[in-house]
Amino acid sequence: MIGRVTTQMTSADLLANINASLDRIDTTQEELSTGKKINQPSDDPYGTSLALQLNNELGGLNDYANNVSDATGWTQAGNAALSDITNAVQRVRELVVEAANGTNSQADMSADADEVNQLIDQIKQDANTQYNGQYIFSGAATSTAPYEAGSNDAYAGDNGSVTRTIGPNTSVAVNGNLAGVLGTGQTVAGQPAGDGKLLNTLRNIADDMQSGNSGALSGTDLSQLDTNLNSLTGLSANLGAVTDRLQMASSRIQSLQTADTQVLSNTQDADMAQTEINFSTQQAALTAALQAGAHIVQQSLMDFLSG
Amino acid sequence: MTIPSFSGLNTALSGLEAAQAAIDTTGQNIANADTPGYSRQQVDMTERDPLTIQSLSNVTGGGSQLGQGVDITTISRVRDQFLDVQYRTQNTQTNGDNTSSTLLGQVQAALNEPSSSGLSSALSNFWSAFTALGNDPTNQGALQAVLGAGQTVASGLNTLGNELTTLESQVTSQYNSLTDPNTGPIASDANQIAALNTQIAQAQVNGLNPNTLFDQRDQLIDDLSQYSNVNVTQQSNGMVNVSFGNAATAAAGGTTDPTPLVNGGSVNLTANLTDANLSGSGGTVGALLGLYDSSTGQGKIAGYLTTLNGVTNNLVTSVNNAIATADPSGATAPPFFTATGTTATTIAVNPSLSTATAPYTEAEAQAAGALRGGSADQSYNAFVTQIGSDVQSTQNAQQTAQSLLSAINNQRQSVSGVSLDEEMTNLITYQQAYQASARVMNAIDETLNTLVNQVGAGI
Repeated sequence: MIGRVTTQMTSADLLANINASLDRIDTTQEELSTGKKINQPSDDPYGTSLALQLNNELGGLNDYANNVSDATGWTQAGNAALSDITNAVQRVRELVVEAANGTNSQADMSADADEVNQLIDQIKQDANTQYNGQYIFSGAATSTAPYEAGSNDAYAGDNGSVTRTIGPNTSVAVNGNLAGVLGTGQTVAGQPAGDGKLLNTLRNIADDMQSGNSGALSGTDLSQLDTNLNSLTGLSANLGAVTDRLQMASSRIQSLQTADTQVLSNTQDADMAQTEINFSTQQAALTAALQAGAHIVQQSLMDFLSG
Repeated sequence: MTIPSFSGLNTALSGLEAAQAAIDTTGQNIANADTPGYSRQQVDMTERDPLTIQSLSNVTGGGSQLGQGVDITTISRVRDQFLDVQYRTQNTQTNGDNTSSTLLGQVQAALNEPSSSGLSSALSNFWSAFTALGNDPTNQGALQAVLGAGQTVASGLNTLGNELTTLESQVTSQYNSLTDPNTGPIASDANQIAALNTQIAQAQVNGLNPNTLFDQRDQLIDDLSQYSNVNVTQQSNGMVNVSFGNAATAAAGGTTDPTPLVNGGSVNLTANLTDANLSGSGGTVGALLGLYDSSTGQGKIAGYLTTLNGVTNNLVTSVNNAIATADPSGATAPPFFTATGTTATTIAVNPSLSTATAPYTEAEAQAAGALRGGSADQSYNAFVTQIGSDVQSTQNAQQTAQSLLSAINNQRQSVSGVSLDEEMTNLITYQQAYQASARVMNAIDETLNTLVNQVGAGI
């Protein structure tokens, strides 16, 4: 214990205490105004490191969420095109079944053939569907239209796939291999490629209708068409599965975002109620220090000496 | 033997003089109550040699001694030299910690983390931009977004690197101005101490006790102790030798300092103000050298710059490598960052990209975007954490040192400081002593009056 207490000691101590009090209030005020308890790395170095990491993770999750919504756009556009194509093929099948009866007149058969050719154009148009300016059934060559209108059925895309990253080291292919179902049809007018794919079958059907070959229509054409329809349904199912997967990924990303945001908030956000209480306590302490100081520093023995 | 008639007057006079000296000294103390470096003074008094009176009685023999009043031996300062040593040691420590924490605080402020405008956010945006480009590689807008985000990262690193370099040169110029042997404050303190040494020695030869000079010299040594370690050796002629820097630490350990900074009435500036003597020592100067030593290129800030260059190198190589190896067909894409710029101040986005059309395929852009959370992010994160821990520990050390310093200063003030209450009490005591002595003189005067004017007045 210090024996003598001198005037300078009292005032220096008072000043130091008031300064310390102000310093604490300053820190609390910064926390209150920013709403954060980590305002510089030195406030909590480990917390800072965690906050940076979590912010980065949240950025990554946001990217994944964007990728998922982009991928969903692709698969939805794909599904719409595929169901349109399926409808067209169903219509062709009705025409084929009707023609296979052999009761239609040649004029009716020619009209049917024209309709089939128009449906072929519609199918190729569906195959040329674009999402966000990119052809979705062109493999990786997204800036090239896969099919051209008219009698040339050659596939202009490639076999590449378009993938979207929807999680760490997790990516999905979002483009269906429609060219594998449609095939190359006829690359030279009037000469079907013979690959047995949908366009080829449709061209054969149109030719058989034109020539009134109801035997071929009821035989190979119909069974070929059913096979093609099957693979089309398979492709639709595939894309549907991808859509389901994307939905699951989306909800997983959302729950991760919620969890990360919560941890981040616990790490860097100030507990407002607690901070408010601290603030008023510190303010009361400062007022008390100032009042005490005003009394102590003013008084000395001189106040009590007479004359 | 009889008692001289006027001896009582002299006794009373000595009392008057002593009381007056004490009152004057009290006045001096009160006047200097707030003067920095002032030590309170006190009048040292001693009994005057007594007058031996032969006994008038043969029965008791011997005689008796009659007091002759009071002598003022000296007016001395009240000061504890050991507290001075402690104060200076702590002052060195506190100022060193202050310097470190202030400058490291500037490094931390330059980081601007954690915030939405710091480099970590810029990196996060950069990865996002690449991922978005991966979804639409031919989109020119997405490419511009990547280029913009990359430029933000590059200029963020440039700025940080330049801030650190600027801080290094600030530290160096601060160090140079402190240690300048002609105009620096250390040289100025040393010269003044040497001059005071000469004056003190002179005064002591003349038998004086130069309290004011002592106070001034002590205060200069206190001031000197903020720059680096000091060690004071008392000389027999009243002078002091002051060792400085590492030499002071050695001298405190018992080694004789051949060239103390202040050697009696002379100074050894060039021998002491060297990197070798100051590097690793305490105080402002030692702390500055610890942050950046221009002669070796070492120091904490230089270390940060090296780490930051490592982060940059990591970023440049990982992005460029990811792009170069992503395409399975082996097609080469242009590097994103110029390959030569692998330090914080030289990193730049490949300028040829600004005119390129769809330079990156989906796979390349996705590979770059997948670097999020990779070694570049991790090394930057570690860099921020390291600076944060360093600032936190120096701030804690600074606060501890500061409170220890004020504790020691309080102890010193308790010994040497002026207490107005005490001085007022003393003033009353001495005032009454003065009045009492005057009363004694009055009594003797009256007695003598009786003797001279009344005895035999009838004759």
